[in-house]
Amino acid sequence: MTDGMPTTQPAPEARPIVAMRDIDKRFGPVQANDRVDLTLYPGEIHAVLGENGAGKTTLMNILSGMYQPDSGSIALDGTPVTIGSPSEALALGIGTVYQHFTLVPNLSVIENVMLGTKTGFVLNLSRGEQQLNELLAGFELNTDPTTEVRHLSIGQRQRVEIIKVLFRGTRVLLLDEPTSVLTPSEVDGLFRILHRLREEGVSVVIITHKLEEALDVSDRVTILRGGKNVGELGPAEIVAAGRAGARQQIVETMFGGMPAAVETFQQHVATGETLLELQRVSAMGDRGEMAIRDLSLQLRAGEIYGIAGVDGNGQKELGEIIAGQRKTTSGQLIFDGQDFTNKGVATLSRAGVGYITDDRMGEGVVPGMSVAQNAALKTINRAPFSKGFFLNRKAIEENANALIEQFSVKTPSADTRITLLSGGNIQKLMLARELAMNPRVIVCNKPTYGLDLKTAQFVVKTLREEADSGKAVLLISSELDEILEISDRIGVIYNGEIVETFDRTQIDVETIGRLMLSGRAAAQESAA
Amino acid sequence: MNERARLSGISLLPIASSVMAIVMAFVIGGIFLEANGKDALHAYRILFERGLINGDGLTETFKKMAPMLIVSAGLLIALRASVWNIGIDGQFMVGALLAGVAGAHLSGSVPNPLMWSIAAIAGIAGGLLWAVVPALLMVKFKLNEIITTLLMNYVAVYVTAWLAKGPFKDPDRVAPQTPKIPLEDRLPFIPGTEVHIGLIVGLISVVVVAILFRSTVYGFCLDVVGRNRRAAIHAGFPVGRLAGSALLLSGAFAGLAGANDVLGIQGLFKANWNPGYGFTAFALVYLARLNSLLIIPFAFFFSFLLVGGDSMPRRADVPTYFVEMLEGLMLICFAVAVYLERRWHVISERLRGRPDDRVEPETSSGVESLEGLEASS
Repeated sequence: MTDGMPTTQPAPEARPIVAMRDIDKRFGPVQANDRVDLTLYPGEIHAVLGENGAGKTTLMNILSGMYQPDSGSIALDGTPVTIGSPSEALALGIGTVYQHFTLVPNLSVIENVMLGTKTGFVLNLSRGEQQLNELLAGFELNTDPTTEVRHLSIGQRQRVEIIKVLFRGTRVLLLDEPTSVLTPSEVDGLFRILHRLREEGVSVVIITHKLEEALDVSDRVTILRGGKNVGELGPAEIVAAGRAGARQQIVETMFGGMPAAVETFQQHVATGETLLELQRVSAMGDRGEMAIRDLSLQLRAGEIYGIAGVDGNGQKELGEIIAGQRKTTSGQLIFDGQDFTNKGVATLSRAGVGYITDDRMGEGVVPGMSVAQNAALKTINRAPFSKGFFLNRKAIEENANALIEQFSVKTPSADTRITLLSGGNIQKLMLARELAMNPRVIVCNKPTYGLDLKTAQFVVKTLREEADSGKAVLLISSELDEILEISDRIGVIYNGEIVETFDRTQIDVETIGRLMLSGRAAAQESAA
Repeated sequence: MNERARLSGISLLPIASSVMAIVMAFVIGGIFLEANGKDALHAYRILFERGLINGDGLTETFKKMAPMLIVSAGLLIALRASVWNIGIDGQFMVGALLAGVAGAHLSGSVPNPLMWSIAAIAGIAGGLLWAVVPALLMVKFKLNEIITTLLMNYVAVYVTAWLAKGPFKDPDRVAPQTPKIPLEDRLPFIPGTEVHIGLIVGLISVVVVAILFRSTVYGFCLDVVGRNRRAAIHAGFPVGRLAGSALLLSGAFAGLAGANDVLGIQGLFKANWNPGYGFTAFALVYLARLNSLLIIPFAFFFSFLLVGGDSMPRRADVPTYFVEMLEGLMLICFAVAVYLERRWHVISERLRGRPDDRVEPETSSGVESLEGLEASS
């Protein structure tokens, strides 16, 4: 496109503000972005959709200067640029609002906004005040700019974040999962603001896995899958297809061609008695929001129950409730016919409930300790690892050597510090540790996350074998493929509720995909 | 780990950093002395002569070592569980006061060994009692123990002073102090020396703590809480109770140290008497890299510093505070050395190639809090 072109063309299509071409980015064995293109036009809201691990966040981090692409080019207003750091991105007019806010709670709104702007050493607040007041009014933020940020609601804080980047002359605004922390009315407010920004010619990118919201607010949708571009819908196509048509097209692009049920494993029609039951359980998440709402489920002996869902819909909290690691606010947890509600990890673990956390380094293992110590961690106060008050170091070491052998954990010795092992080997050790306790119910959250294919298959196969031997397995994963592969039943979690349960025989991938992205709303709409 | 790896430079590095830090502190301290027109070498010679070589000095050093060992053993329990007990001094004072009162009250009426035991128990109880409030606040209300234990020190100073001036005052004396335990009823000397048996109590304390962490479930659990609290929760440990008990134990040891000084040396508790072992113990335990048995050589070293430092004003015209400055410099140099050591690990790891490909960035940098400060024990 040359400058000499007549201006008869529709404005938004005129000339891309950002053009990312053939972006490659690899992390170890994982190709996060594989020749990805992204084109942003001024005055347009652009949604980047994709499952977890589709490469959305990587792509955004490249545009915001957090990562450098391995290859590929970025052009801004037609000029090739290298974005070396987030501050360089900001200087180029690309501002990012992350999921986790970066405001200082006990500074005022104006101080937060002005913080880091080039005003010299002394913060000159009056200089920006006029401009800021206008911005605040435009953002439906009728608070005094001298209010401390800690008094603001989450939605208001998010607006302050947006103002903060706009104040630095941002023309391209990146929002990472902006609605995940908002209430529905706050979401509407955010969308009004985004529309306003669009009128002013700002190019807005929202990264999301919520399909309905993407359809609500955006003019253009780019879909990523497995690190690749798999589709783009422009404004004309969205209008032409209509809302339902566009939704259908997107779901097909995201989940289409996925095998309905891989016949790798034998089907298990006959399942045993109910081992564990959640009855209308509710619980809060770490930020005090309702993470689990009135959720009920039954786990039967001999089955793998897969929990499908987009990250952050209550999966982690669900696993922690069953493990006894998170307190419920209402409802009951029944295991083996007895009430175990809020009985705590130690009791549940002794009774026979195992939990493999997704947060390996954060809570799964103790970094400074050896492989052997970590392998005995959860049962250190039981025989044979201890006798009364004293440890049996020999038993601890022998146990570790047995597990290392049995699960082929790659480690120089049982004495090696756990931090020197790769993620896959730590995962194997955690699996081994849990199974060695011989639990009757195994809850595992993202057991194959970040693993190479061979290890992942090993983990999946082991879980299947455990179920076949009469145990109940709850498999929580954001990888739908994995769940489809080995589950006997699948429950779709959305917003802390199980919205639908499928038997293996009646699995319909597209319906599952739609439920994952939109919850019951979409199911009702498509039924109507 | 095989024998060769154990002997290679990297596993010796932890102690090397501590030693380097001490040497650097002496060098920097020497520069300070020279800049102020003092003869640094002469001052250091006095320090070593008086603390180490001179016979009386050595005896004094061994006497000082006793409370140092006991206090550090207790502090180690807390720090291994990542509980920052800044209240050692207060716990020490309350323990000393109670032990002094109990000892003086009982001396003459019961056999000495029984009197010492009861006084020691009173001291332990006093130190423990003084840690109860911070421990409860920490466990029940998640209040930061650094603040509460620190503030309890101030309370301890005035409460013990009031008790020594009022209810527990020796009626026969003008000075605000508790009744004196007669010289013949104090702790006996280790045969052939003039060092009272408190030193043995100190050594036993350290060995007990070493066994606690090496061979007991409780010690293991404290280590887990200290290194990764979330893992402790995940594994179902009673984290609050563990951390709280570590603080109480730490206080109990501080109280025992107080009893030890009163029964062995002071014979009574004077209002406002505070030898201030707390800060030294922090420096000591960190330089020993939270390794229990290493406390012994470092306790000897710090005792000699204090004793030698006492002679510096008269002999070398250098104030006693200089030793405190040295301690501070050691901690700063130690922090720098630990930083360099971490960099060294990263560099050497890169040179040798990593044992396996790591996919997640979290695996390579999952190091926090005490990690790296510790030698493997």
